Amino acid sequence: MWASASFVGVLIIIGMPLWWKTTEVYRVSLPYEKISSFKPLSHFVTTELKVLANDDATASKIVSEIQKAFAESDIIKIKIEKTVMSERQQHILRSVVDMEKAVEELASTLDLDQENIFHVVQKKSLSHNIWVGNERIMFFDDEKASETIVKALDGWIYQTSVLRGARSDTPDQARSTRFPPESAYHITLSIVHPRPDTMQVVWNAAEAVEDYIGSFVDELSSLHNFTLKSQWLHLLDFEFQAREIKEASEWGRHFAVRQDRLSLLLTRLEERAATHVSELSTINLALYIVPCDKAPIIIYDNEGRKNPLSIQAFMSPKWGGVVIASPPAEQCSQQVREFEPSVGQVMGAFVSHLRELLGITKKDAIEGAHLEPLRSVSPRRWEVDALLRIRTLEQVTSAERTLQSLAQLLEEISNIVINDEVGASIAAAVSELEAGAGEGAGADAARAGRAHAHAQRAFTHPSLLALLYFPDDQKYAIYIPLFLPIMFPVVLSLRILLLWFMGKPVHKEKTD
Amino acid sequence: MAFTNLMLVFIFNLLYLSLSSGIEIPEEFQKSNHTNNWAVLVDTSRFWFNYRHVANVLSIYRSVKRLGIPDSQIILMISDDMACNPRNPRPATIFNSAHEQINVYGDDVEVDYRGYEVSVENFIRLLTGRVPPDTPRSKQLLTDEGSNILIYLTGHGGDGFLKFQDSEEVTSQELADALEQMWQKKRYNEIFFIIDTCQASSMYEKFYSPNILATASSLVGEDSLSHHVDSAIGVYIIDRYTYYVLEFLENVHPNSKRTMSEFLAVCPKSACLSTVGVRKDLFNRDPSKVPITDFFGSVRPVILTTDPINIVETPKRKKKTENKTKVQVKRDYVPQFPMHLVQVT
Repeated sequence: MWASASFVGVLIIIGMPLWWKTTEVYRVSLPYEKISSFKPLSHFVTTELKVLANDDATASKIVSEIQKAFAESDIIKIKIEKTVMSERQQHILRSVVDMEKAVEELASTLDLDQENIFHVVQKKSLSHNIWVGNERIMFFDDEKASETIVKALDGWIYQTSVLRGARSDTPDQARSTRFPPESAYHITLSIVHPRPDTMQVVWNAAEAVEDYIGSFVDELSSLHNFTLKSQWLHLLDFEFQAREIKEASEWGRHFAVRQDRLSLLLTRLEERAATHVSELSTINLALYIVPCDKAPIIIYDNEGRKNPLSIQAFMSPKWGGVVIASPPAEQCSQQVREFEPSVGQVMGAFVSHLRELLGITKKDAIEGAHLEPLRSVSPRRWEVDALLRIRTLEQVTSAERTLQSLAQLLEEISNIVINDEVGASIAAAVSELEAGAGEGAGADAARAGRAHAHAQRAFTHPSLLALLYFPDDQKYAIYIPLFLPIMFPVVLSLRILLLWFMGKPVHKEKTD
Repeated sequence: MAFTNLMLVFIFNLLYLSLSSGIEIPEEFQKSNHTNNWAVLVDTSRFWFNYRHVANVLSIYRSVKRLGIPDSQIILMISDDMACNPRNPRPATIFNSAHEQINVYGDDVEVDYRGYEVSVENFIRLLTGRVPPDTPRSKQLLTDEGSNILIYLTGHGGDGFLKFQDSEEVTSQELADALEQMWQKKRYNEIFFIIDTCQASSMYEKFYSPNILATASSLVGEDSLSHHVDSAIGVYIIDRYTYYVLEFLENVHPNSKRTMSEFLAVCPKSACLSTVGVRKDLFNRDPSKVPITDFFGSVRPVILTTDPINIVETPKRKKKTENKTKVQVKRDYVPQFPMHLVQVT
């Protein structure tokens, strides 16, 4: 009796809870309530706007128009400050006709280098309603330009549609084009020379990359780190399946390449472009030198229209860009052929590809507004501000969504282990997100980057697969053959034990 | 009486309204998210007599490459080396037909996971992205929210599991959970799942994530059969389902207008001897309107450049001054006999 009791005591009373406790999935306590309270779609960015006009009435009208337009915007909150210009400023604007010079002179009185502050300044007798250049300043003519100002602020300066796309669950056009947010990228410039025996190509790739691309990425150093590389790929050729079209030009012909053939060129380039050398994403820029017998190549788009530009280039979202350079006819007619592609033209195309791939979108034309075309590799100051805002919003919402999906996964799949490292990453991410939200304002760029990195690390931590071979439905397949034979007599003897405990006679007394 | 009539009319109206208000997601909406194609091709069985599984997966690999998916976006996992197997009478080749016309091994096959690296853990890590930190980029599935993934599994399977390497199994629940984790992390836009094993359809029964179209070579309770034997090599060379799939894919070229529903109907019971199973309920679009190239081709959008920057002044990057002081390195010979180490008493 005592033997059965001790069996029952050890197995059921001590053993079962011990087994339950030791086989539970180890999970560090996570802030589930905080994670479920995140609302990714409620985030917004804040920015400052200064309006300067010749008199108070104009300034007030402009400010009220802008406020009315952005009042219901849930994606951007603008703090507007209005000022009447000083005599000196008005004098500068009246006397200086050239816009760039006016900006330069005005820069001494206004601080145009402060990030995230944009200025809207009145300058009479403009040829358009508004003028926007490279610095954080917009000139407008008079109060009749208020509608154009609002459209320009919405579409060019603040890019509210791109901001909305960065925050939303489904990607928009801009988000499908730009590279996902990371702390660092590699940029590789490959010069593809299919027939090195027939032509000599003179190009200093290292210098071109360093100067042109280097100057461009230096402006974005607050967002990402960049590693610049260049390489020559010889004897890599591609069958364009081009159609020869005779025409009256120095060549007498050109070769028409269809746009849908170009994606296969990217496949061919990927074979040798060695993008796997590093663990970071690589932006591929390729310069394809067309051999003399296949030159010149002109790309025809899907509707059959010829590409009229002097530079034939295309880009592929989330991959990179390609420039197809054809040598001039006079070089090919010589004995020793030497081709020197124009560095400025080629790098101009590459930088325009880089801009789109890193998030600086194309600006649509607005009636009555003049956007000064770019003349150098550096992006416009307010474009960098806009990019910072877009990336911040993207990273904050992505971090929140990652944490929320991780919490949902943990609920759905019960045998995932959360060890201390992962728990620490999640806690760090949550604290960064809370600190940002606690400021009551928009999102801070560095904090967003850290939160995003922590959330990514937590979700893709290799240890989350620890209990792979012990799913619930198979757990019992292991326990039952081990423990059932032992528990069988123990459970059966429970009845007898109970009777003995309650004092009833156990054995049937022999009655005579 | 009137009241019940009224109730009946009311219920009937409700039913009619609920049935007719089903929202159809337009084609362009789903398609607009699709930016690139990936393929994960896995062969899970070892040993010489499973030659046909390696031939299966390599034939699919060839077709997928021919239709344009680059090697950098194909993850090929092969468990055993048949080409250099000592029992192979045609060394360094793998054929998928007794006519031995095409060497599917070829010169440019890129196997990402080979031999014992093909394990359940590696497979699930690959799918969910939880690879160890030093994994090379070519061994990772670097998909994003716009990627369509083609997953092809072949080997020996059973009801609810697929055998890996003759020693372990992946269950259908684990696979379903892995795909759900991919969905949560937005690692795919759509998945096309093909499996060619015995009782194959049991592997996709447990899927619960959206945007997955699955097809299997046999239903639960049926065996998938192999096609023919090559008497010169001495083993079965290819499986029936994959043989007919390849026949179909031979006629598909990169600009093809064939649809997925034609692919799903590729092997009737008369040819395959097992019934091909299809799971469409998790897939939003109608397969008869989905082109084959959505999963099998290389759809990389190409945008022509219409506004290159006109650079007026040549930029010059400010060189960071590197403090490299050139130190004259003095070199001399190490003494031949280390007398300086010996204590002279």
